[in-house]
Amino acid sequence: MISEETLIRKGTPKGKGLDLGIRTMFAGLTYLILFVAVLLFCKICWDGAPTLFSTKAPFVNVSFLLDKNQTLHVFDNPQGERLQLPASEYMAYVKTNGEASVFNHQSFSYSGGGIIGPIVGTLLLTVGSIIIALFFGVSAAIYLSEYAKDSPFIHVVRLAILNLAGVPSIVFGLFGFSVFVLAVPIITDEPSSRSLFTLPLFASDYVISFQGWNSSLMAGCATLACMILPVIITASEESLKSVPQGFRDASLALGATRWQTIRRSVLPFSLPGILTSSLLAITRVAGETAPIMFTAAVAAKDDLPWEGMSNPLDILSSQVQALPYHIYTLAARIPNSEYTQRAQYGSVFVFLLLVALMSFSSMYLRAKVRAKLKW
Amino acid sequence: MSVVSSSEISRPPIQRKGFSYDRLIRYFFASNAGLTIVILLLIIAFLLKEGLGFFPGYRRELEIYRITGMEFVDLSRTNLTSHEQLTSLLNRAYFAEINGQADRELKRSTEAAALVADIDDFTASVRDSYFSATEEAAPAAEVIARLKAQYAALLSLAIKDLPPSPHLTEEERKGIIDAMMQRPIDNEDTPEFVTKLAGEYATARQKFAAPLEEARTRIDAFEAAGSELNSLVGEMTSLVRVSKDALNKSDILERERKSLLAAAASAKDPATRERLQQEAKTALAEVPDIRETTEKVLAKKSQCSEAHQKLHQSITGLTAQLTFSYQQAESVKLQRAALAAMPAFLKELEAAPAKIEAWNAAEPVHLSAAIHSFLTGKSWVTGGEWQDFYGILPLLTGSLMIAIVALLIAIPVGIGAAIYTNQFASLREQKLIKPIIEFIQAIPSVVLGFIGIFILGEALRTLSTSPALAWFPGFPMDERLNIFTAGCLLALMSIPTIFSLAEDAINNVPAAYSEASEALGASKLQTTFRVVVPAAFSGILAAVLLGFGRVIGETMVVLLVAGNRIKIPDFSAGVGAFFQPAHTMTGIIAQELGEVPVGSVHYRALFVVGILLFAIVLGINATAHHFTRKMKH
Repeated sequence: MISEETLIRKGTPKGKGLDLGIRTMFAGLTYLILFVAVLLFCKICWDGAPTLFSTKAPFVNVSFLLDKNQTLHVFDNPQGERLQLPASEYMAYVKTNGEASVFNHQSFSYSGGGIIGPIVGTLLLTVGSIIIALFFGVSAAIYLSEYAKDSPFIHVVRLAILNLAGVPSIVFGLFGFSVFVLAVPIITDEPSSRSLFTLPLFASDYVISFQGWNSSLMAGCATLACMILPVIITASEESLKSVPQGFRDASLALGATRWQTIRRSVLPFSLPGILTSSLLAITRVAGETAPIMFTAAVAAKDDLPWEGMSNPLDILSSQVQALPYHIYTLAARIPNSEYTQRAQYGSVFVFLLLVALMSFSSMYLRAKVRAKLKW
Repeated sequence: MSVVSSSEISRPPIQRKGFSYDRLIRYFFASNAGLTIVILLLIIAFLLKEGLGFFPGYRRELEIYRITGMEFVDLSRTNLTSHEQLTSLLNRAYFAEINGQADRELKRSTEAAALVADIDDFTASVRDSYFSATEEAAPAAEVIARLKAQYAALLSLAIKDLPPSPHLTEEERKGIIDAMMQRPIDNEDTPEFVTKLAGEYATARQKFAAPLEEARTRIDAFEAAGSELNSLVGEMTSLVRVSKDALNKSDILERERKSLLAAAASAKDPATRERLQQEAKTALAEVPDIRETTEKVLAKKSQCSEAHQKLHQSITGLTAQLTFSYQQAESVKLQRAALAAMPAFLKELEAAPAKIEAWNAAEPVHLSAAIHSFLTGKSWVTGGEWQDFYGILPLLTGSLMIAIVALLIAIPVGIGAAIYTNQFASLREQKLIKPIIEFIQAIPSVVLGFIGIFILGEALRTLSTSPALAWFPGFPMDERLNIFTAGCLLALMSIPTIFSLAEDAINNVPAAYSEASEALGASKLQTTFRVVVPAAFSGILAAVLLGFGRVIGETMVVLLVAGNRIKIPDFSAGVGAFFQPAHTMTGIIAQELGEVPVGSVHYRALFVVGILLFAIVLGINATAHHFTRKMKH
């Protein structure tokens, strides 16, 4: 049977083999990427899952998630058994059994204990920077979408957003280091010698000193917030623009002011969209290493951020561990051996799992929001 | 919906002049939008603020380099270094030949020694405690007995997990292990058989070295030819180092004095001011007189020239005789490398005397020289004892080569996948492909770097050692972490960018185009490649450019995977240059910024690299933006 279509397209049957070949080649390229991605994901899961999950109830190795990071000590006891103990347990062992009962001692930095420190640090950094970026980003998006007319100012703003989005993350690291770590103002009574300049405050010993926040959670959050600002602005603007113009017109026609219109008739409908898109920004923030290397992150820290703090605000000015930086340390600074693999693959697995979770839930929620809000 | 309150309704419709609540809100939002401009300006301002001080600082360093005569010494030193490298290549070829011929004996001996060393290591702790116990006058018998029992226990443990020894027979291996087992705790001798193997190896070496005697003498002659230059450079080096240290110290003192004076100027009470000024006066640095040492160094000008000429003569004479018929592939390779480098070396030697004569300590170092040295410098040397150089070329080539590899892989795959997904794939396929590619985009770069170190690097190297691929240039790879490995990972990273932007571009081609094409009787394939893709071309180009920008700016993957060797890859290896390690602009910032003192020349150099990176990426993005706009019109 020759269908009508083939009758019209006379050329088609001739090149069928070539057609199929090219199609298959392109399909092959596409599925090659998918295959590589899935393969790598499975490899990490295969090697990392034993660290996090166990065959015995409760099936999750909670201690890896909840313990602090320590040095791993590996040694033989007098019975010739190979023991692997994190630093604290090792100290206790040496105390009870004496130095003489430790043979072939080796130690591996960062490989013992769990990863609660990096997890908490990444959480703090992410939450802090997202709050800052959402506040400024959504405000900027409101201006761009609701107020802006085609003016030179808007043109420059759009250009700035576009360029900011392309700045390499390591340049943000340099920027954060030179601005937030070394130059932003603080109020203090003892200005540091490296302060750029100081402004006296009225009738007190305190001065405003432009000496920066040092390497701290605060500086890290600010740097990361600057980095994702363009992402948040673009996503929010898109979401605001998707609210039908009729909503605004109706509200304005009823005598509401511009701000009332935005607050009551535009924002509530675009908020789900804004929040889902910012989930994507969260994945990016959580995964970045270069901007926090010099502004917030520290490789080893014994206490959790809030431990040993008299003033809760001190958390902001303390350094934190962070998962991506922790993985960098594990990959670059310690040798790869059978004893470090647990920490290495385990951390990467947990991190990848978190990222995958956020990424797919963002996709799912976005689809859901789109399906729900149809005008 | 909440009801608008009465007070809000009663407001006059025409806005009051001056202060208005609504206008204030408007300004608030506008200022937030302006924040992006502020951030961008701050980035530029602070990069420039920290970076621009680099060039004067570097100029001063180069000036010191010149007036102390270090530059003069380096004229001879570089030649000496290449002579040493050539000598080492020749020597390595020679020893590779001997060891290659005595391979069996070498392996047997090392394997036996490894067995002994492994057991020794395992039992070292007990033996140490035994020896320290017996040092005392009369150790308790039970202590000795306990230690001996422990020793025996450890021995039996030790032999459970020993390195393999494929070149020893089962019996020989067993013999060594038995000898070790029977060895008492206080005996540290190696078993007889192992010593015998070492002896066999030594004899074999002698045997194979005998026919190569001629080679040995000539290589030694080659090595000895450099000794005069060597001692000259040694003398001059110690001379100039003194003046460099003196100058550096006086520079530091001068800086201190300035900061003291500045502190004195801003001090509140007169007493402190007085004290600070006094301190500044005592800190006053006298500029050390280095002319004398420089002249001493310069006095050796003629000697240096002569030494070069002599070296040139003797090496020209020797070169023809340095070809030996080696049998081992390794030796042949090394010898070929040495001989290939010889003509360039001879040319350098010939040119050196003229350069040495022409050198002038008093020639001023201009700022442009510092800029020139940064932009065209072939070495990035920092933290050394001799002289720091900040040349961008090795880093730039590293970055570009990695980007080339990444794009060569990512462009066909990314665009191919975009065309397939948009034009040929069914809706269900699209629903599978898009989320997975979006997920790849979400994989943090540090995780990719981890994958590169622990999975991909090893896998690629194993692949490259397979004999079936030996014809490929650069295979087998010398290093696990190299440009190619980093490029593969960055390709994976830039595929999502290229894919999604290219797919967008194809999607934005008006449906009328393809409809018209199909109406004219074109097949699907013809429509896609003759109508849709050409129409989306500038959008696809923009996608590729943005992918390139992403690859150039990526840090963690290259820091972890590129191998971090600051050297321009050896292009004489052809495509093999892509399998060498390299360092990158992003990587160097990430690696060194944490370790340098704030405000130093090195610190500022990193900011200049940042400025360059920033400029490159902005340029790429602007071009991409240009193409996107073209697409829209």
